[in-house]
Amino acid sequence: MDFSGQVVVADLEAGVGTLTRLGEAGVDLVLIVVEPTPKSVEVGCRAAALVADKALGRAVVVASRIRSDDDLTMITKAFPDHEVVPIPDDPAIVQADRNGVAPLDSAPDAPAVQALVRLAEELVPSPS
Amino acid sequence: MRVAFVGKGGAGKSAISGTFARLLARRGHPVLAIDSDPLPGMAYSLGLDRDDAPLPDEAIEDRPDDEEGPRYRLRAGLSAAEAVERHAATAPDGVRFLQFGKIRTDPRALFRSQLAFRQIIKELPDDRWHLVGDLPGGTRQPFTGWGAYADTYLVVVEPMAKSLLSARRLARLASAAERPVQVLAVANKVSESGDAEMVARRSGLEVVASVPLEPAFAAAERAGRAPLDLVPESAAVGAVSLLVDRLDRQPLRGAAT
Repeated sequence: MDFSGQVVVADLEAGVGTLTRLGEAGVDLVLIVVEPTPKSVEVGCRAAALVADKALGRAVVVASRIRSDDDLTMITKAFPDHEVVPIPDDPAIVQADRNGVAPLDSAPDAPAVQALVRLAEELVPSPS
Repeated sequence: MRVAFVGKGGAGKSAISGTFARLLARRGHPVLAIDSDPLPGMAYSLGLDRDDAPLPDEAIEDRPDDEEGPRYRLRAGLSAAEAVERHAATAPDGVRFLQFGKIRTDPRALFRSQLAFRQIIKELPDDRWHLVGDLPGGTRQPFTGWGAYADTYLVVVEPMAKSLLSARRLARLASAAERPVQVLAVANKVSESGDAEMVARRSGLEVVASVPLEPAFAAAERAGRAPLDLVPESAAVGAVSLLVDRLDRQPLRGAAT
């Protein structure tokens, strides 16, 4: 299919299984979502190593559910060579999940949603 | 008791199953914790400091050409029970911990250990251990043989739309399983009155435990520590203890009564 001029966003299965099967030209950017827990950081590090080994393109670490400076430090220390984008822990996201609705619709002004809007804008700037 | 914890990723299966296994062992039962998730999880909640513990090469051999079956098998003469005795890790409270290792970069590196693990869980004796399994999130593993040792599936469900949808799917798949299995729900991260009832109503499953959303329990996760070690007095650990009470009424399958 021809996707020129379009943005394709894929939400991969948890873990690194899908990444191991992804071809070199499959993507040009990988967003590695990491929570400030040892388990999540470990999986994220494996994902980052795979992206590098397979030359999949740019990798950005999205640090999710950040509550404190310590949370963010835990992740930035684990990914010293990557850009790390913090997304705050935000009850609005939990509430949207409980209600089964999109956070962008139910809480567009919530801090976590705003952080994601800024990330999207940075990655794919709106046409001016 | 032969239980397997299933549910959507992030629902809390590892934290609850690890705590459950240790509390069961504290009652004097021999417990084997079975981790078939290629991602880190159950080891931390059991209180082990090493997450990656594949079966060693010496326990595994190529299957002879004239023998049908997967490419690798347990070394000739090594039974499933012996493999556990020799090679399963020992966690706090005497829980034995079986896993096939964790995916690093190339999943093929795990094939040998994975196939031997499959053989072990298929051939485990009925009367040696209580089995407590932690399966990966989603619906793929539970019904492709990875949970075949279990006679009870405990679906860990958060009071959220996506988690409830996963629970319904798991319940439906279980009802279509080849052999009868009991499917029950554990409501996790419960924060509002009516959450457990909502889980029961929308999953169609009996809720046998209601584990509260509790910062202390989440803090253990963030610290990579066993909740039972870090916050033993928490309400969430208490709820898991009640779950053990509820299920610890059945003798080992095959054991003399």
